[in-house]
Amino acid sequence: MDNLLAARALMGVSFVFHIIYATMGIGLPLLLMLAEGLALKTGDESWHRIARRWVLPAGVVFAIGAVSGTILSFELGLLWPRFMAFSGAMIGLAFSMEGFAFFTEAIFLSLYFYGERRLSRRALFLCTIPLTLAASISAIFVISANGWMNTPSGFQMVNGSPSDVLPLRAFANEAWPHEALHGTLAAYVATSFAIAGYYAAMVLKGRGAVEAKKALSLSLSVAAVTAPLMLVTGDWAADSVAKFQKAKLAAMEAHFKTSAAAPLVIGGWPDPDTGRVRYAVRIPKLLSILAHDDPNAVVQGLDAFPQGTTPDPRLVHPFFDLMVGSFFVMGIGLGWFWWLRWRQKEVPDQPRLLKYLMFASPFGIIALESGWLVTEFGRQPWVVQGYLRTSQSVTPNGGVVSVFITFVVVYLCLTAGMLKLLLRHQGRHGGEGKEVEHA
Amino acid sequence: MPDPVSLAALVAALALVLYALFGGADFGGGIWTALAFGPRAREQREALFNAIGPVWETNHVWLIFVVVTLFTAFPAGFAALFIALMTPLVVALVGINFRGAAYAFRHYGRASGREVPFSARVFEIASVLTPFALGMAVSATAAGSITIENDVVSTGTGIWFNPFTVMGGVIGLCICAYLAPVYMTVRVKGALQEDFRNASIAAGVALGVVTAVMIPLALQTAPEFSHRLLGSWPMLCVILAVLAGVTTQLLLLLRRFRLAQVMTGVTVVLTLAGFAAALHPDLIIQELPLRAAAAPRSTLIAYLTVLPVGAAVLVPSLWFLYWTFRGEPAPELPPAGKEP
Repeated sequence: MDNLLAARALMGVSFVFHIIYATMGIGLPLLLMLAEGLALKTGDESWHRIARRWVLPAGVVFAIGAVSGTILSFELGLLWPRFMAFSGAMIGLAFSMEGFAFFTEAIFLSLYFYGERRLSRRALFLCTIPLTLAASISAIFVISANGWMNTPSGFQMVNGSPSDVLPLRAFANEAWPHEALHGTLAAYVATSFAIAGYYAAMVLKGRGAVEAKKALSLSLSVAAVTAPLMLVTGDWAADSVAKFQKAKLAAMEAHFKTSAAAPLVIGGWPDPDTGRVRYAVRIPKLLSILAHDDPNAVVQGLDAFPQGTTPDPRLVHPFFDLMVGSFFVMGIGLGWFWWLRWRQKEVPDQPRLLKYLMFASPFGIIALESGWLVTEFGRQPWVVQGYLRTSQSVTPNGGVVSVFITFVVVYLCLTAGMLKLLLRHQGRHGGEGKEVEHA
Repeated sequence: MPDPVSLAALVAALALVLYALFGGADFGGGIWTALAFGPRAREQREALFNAIGPVWETNHVWLIFVVVTLFTAFPAGFAALFIALMTPLVVALVGINFRGAAYAFRHYGRASGREVPFSARVFEIASVLTPFALGMAVSATAAGSITIENDVVSTGTGIWFNPFTVMGGVIGLCICAYLAPVYMTVRVKGALQEDFRNASIAAGVALGVVTAVMIPLALQTAPEFSHRLLGSWPMLCVILAVLAGVTTQLLLLLRRFRLAQVMTGVTVVLTLAGFAAALHPDLIIQELPLRAAAAPRSTLIAYLTVLPVGAAVLVPSLWFLYWTFRGEPAPELPPAGKEP
């Protein structure tokens, strides 16, 4: 393993790990806010109990999210110092603003988690509002940096280095609005499905079923509002990618040859040697319609770009399909639940539905992770699209392989420790209701 | 308008000082958990543990703030520093991770009714390791063993076994060990308060001794730094830091804890200010001036404009946090699932 591969692998592992916790850190506050708000509004204390029961596991999740985020901010310098020297002046503003939002999030999180004995109920609820806002705003800000890597703007290249920097223009780059919205909404969908799966299991076991059903409804309400918006923002993202990141679109769709009336390729395995996609389903003209709103439009394929400047479709197309597929897995669960809820006028508890929801539970995170992989693998071999290659930005220090191994061990320890704690807790208390009294 | 490079450098230094004051006390809590002594060792640990709980995450955001300020305002400097300081930064990072996770696990374990001794050990070890590594990293910028030629950053051989950087690590440790018990004297009463008072006095002596030893050591191993340190402004900071340190010890002896708490902070601020003043106008001594490391003017101005807006949200929120969790540290979380 060479330095570049080790650095990429470490950055990838760090992100895959951090994204899980960061996602929960965006989604959970919204659910806490809604539950606490409902408790105050309806006077139904069970909402408050549902929210407070999340405090301990969420505390661990947030803590790991914060420390793994610290790892990432250090890795920017430890692994990619030349990327940072190139881009710091353009993406720094996004990170600085995110820093303030994250700071605010950490503060109100502590107040909500630890403040039960020191703050009134109304104050606790009020703390969840800046918490929810700061969490989503920090995501929206930080995604601007990723957007800039995809659609760099706000500078001129003079003698091989960026100058005439316009930080606000760089901040508001073309990819930012759709990436920020799509990504933040995805965090809500992922969290609400993860939580829904947990409560579906509770209802299935018959443990504290009354409260579990309420929580299930709440989380699937959030999903019902946010999931359709994923479709809208996803379409917007595709339009923008078709306009500004044509090579990425070609790799996403495994579209090798530039052609008019391009079909949409679903599934299959792209083979760059032959330029064909084996075992795929093709829907005629649909790619042209999706990308350019015209069934006969020409869509550029990977062959339209100089060799060595395009991403590998084998790393992009399957993850794109996985992302879209995951969405439909969740959509079925959502439709099923709300159909029965509407028909029966009460929270449905058919074992088949509950089992399906448990099955669908991780697909929000799967979709989010694979969407992120699409956007990252889809930009290769560039770290700053069209300007700086990933291979040019890696640290000149040797020994990245040993750093990689060190951090893989760190992540394994953290994951093992957390699973052990959460599972033991489950085993001991059944995770629910009245049996959790202590001496 | 004053020069944006200097202003941005001031912000970076200020962020580092705030991290030292808040994050440092946090690490100090871990150090004194390991060093808990006497018949009330258990109570000392409990009090430290409960005091850290609600604020540790916030305390560590200052570090992210330092990193973000560096790469926004001094991208070339950030790149050079992170190439040169890879070793101690990786150690610190591993420490920060294990410390945060161990703390959270321990908290969670305790709230669900189990002691988690392994997590407690990890927490203590990481609390010692991290400030030591960070102290080494910070002092290495002044040691004079990092060189930059034709954009290639290299560190002299043996930079991490150099007495100057090792001593820098020890000073980092002592600063943390000094802050935590002084803060604690204000928050507890009775015999426990006396324990923390004794710990504070001991740590104060230790910090005084190591910083005093550092000066002859610097004269030998980091001549440029010591030359600048014994110049005009930095020297003033040094003298004032010594005075503030002595005053703190006297206040502790007289049991004027609130004033002592303030003076401890002042001592640490002046110590770090002396260091920063001696480093000025460089980011890496003699090799990389702040001006050469800085981002373009437009970025600096955008950053400095965002700052007061962010501060307007942050400062009242921080105040509310520390105000809410003032006074006697208590286990703030009820056991898992129990109704309040």
